Amino acid sequence: MEVFWNSIAEYNAQTWPWQLAFIAVAALFTVLLWVKPMTWVKIATKVLMVLEALWIAFVYYMKFAGGRDYSNVMTIFWCLVAAAWVYDLATHFSSFQKSGKYRPWGVLMILLPLVYPLISLFRGMTFPQMTTPMLPSAVALYMLGMLMAFNRKINFFAFIFIVHWAVIAISKIVLFNIPEDTLLAAACLPAMFIFFKEAVDSSAEEVGSKPSKPAVKALILAVTVLIGACMVIEYV
Amino acid sequence: MTQEYVNDIADFISGYVSHMLGAGVHTSRVVRNSKRIGEALGTDVRIHTSQKTATLTVCEKGGKTMSTRVLDIPGLPISFEWNADLSALSWAAYDNDMSLDAIRHKFEEIVAKPKMNPWFVLFMAALANASFCRLFGGDIWAMLIVFTSTLVGFFTRQHLTRRGVNHYIVFIVSAFVASLCASSALALGLNTAEIALATSVLYLVPGVPLINGVIDITDGHIQIGISRLVNALMLIVCIAIGMSATLMLVKDSLL
Repeated sequence: MEVFWNSIAEYNAQTWPWQLAFIAVAALFTVLLWVKPMTWVKIATKVLMVLEALWIAFVYYMKFAGGRDYSNVMTIFWCLVAAAWVYDLATHFSSFQKSGKYRPWGVLMILLPLVYPLISLFRGMTFPQMTTPMLPSAVALYMLGMLMAFNRKINFFAFIFIVHWAVIAISKIVLFNIPEDTLLAAACLPAMFIFFKEAVDSSAEEVGSKPSKPAVKALILAVTVLIGACMVIEYV
Repeated sequence: MTQEYVNDIADFISGYVSHMLGAGVHTSRVVRNSKRIGEALGTDVRIHTSQKTATLTVCEKGGKTMSTRVLDIPGLPISFEWNADLSALSWAAYDNDMSLDAIRHKFEEIVAKPKMNPWFVLFMAALANASFCRLFGGDIWAMLIVFTSTLVGFFTRQHLTRRGVNHYIVFIVSAFVASLCASSALALGLNTAEIALATSVLYLVPGVPLINGVIDITDGHIQIGISRLVNALMLIVCIAIGMSATLMLVKDSLL
């Protein structure tokens, strides 16, 4: 656990200007997407997602968390997240368009990464040994928030990777004493149900398929509740 | 019995055979069922099968009218429901002396049944793989990680298959992605991380071709049996390549 928090402290101490720059650019693009969703903004936002994932992979995990066991696994994992966004750039998998649904929920999730340092301060931690919005789970939460806020057609690859990361995050709460990650887990489960439910509702190929759509959605809800229950049981 | 009627029977049975073989039914059952339908319609049916094509001859019982068809076997999704229903159809035709039109009507009803919802399949495959992890001794964290790893891997497989990517490449990529996601259990220091890693690719194991291959060989259909086993072996090699890539990156620390 000490290695874990020391690596975060070193990362924050040496990269805080870069972190501020990332947060500023992300805030700018989010506002632009919200008020004036032009094509170049959508492309720039996807490029930002790629850069954020690569930043976490190479700067956070490879450089500063290199002392942790199997940190290279996390590097590769975040490269895959970056690859999911590159694939999106190439194939226009997601549209970054608002659907009008779940808008408040999306806004809340976009803002949640900013709560990370507040929780750390509340826990009595001080800079640099504290969480910031540019740590992996906070970045995953920002990506999830963007998918939720602009959910007409989402990047499902990136979304499922984030679901996987949320499972990892919940285990880190116990293993590394980082309760801030509860935010990601708490946001991810409803998002999981909403995105899969929307996918079942909207996809044309499921017309006339079995089981019926309500039954599939009931299964998704049951699985989501089951995962949540597992997380709570293990955490308690 | 007119030539036209025998042709109709041959056309119907060739459709029946291609659907059954394509849906993953073992050869002796396909041959048996087809002969049964032929018997119900007053004909003898002889079939030769291979991995991609089949040849069948329908011959009037005690007569000289016959018709031969060479058919392609389509790559249909494996369906135990078709297997059971189409087998039951052959018995219904035999027991109830059904006419060719009645059998054909029933056949079309069976093959027109709705397909499985891909989202349902995605979740069930992930749940099944998480259960495998438990059976092999994985704890709850390992099960959760295997569940989400399978979601990623299986979604990748569905997406690439829909885009028409070569299925060997699909298997390699899916195995790589699923095992890489599962290897995150190693970074968390879980006690059963290796079980999670090992079970994360089990959803790809081609069980039906393996079983059918063995059954075909033991039933004397050596050619198609070996073809099916070789096909299954190729898929297993692809899984091994995908998983080896992960292990080389993770365990040998190639990065």
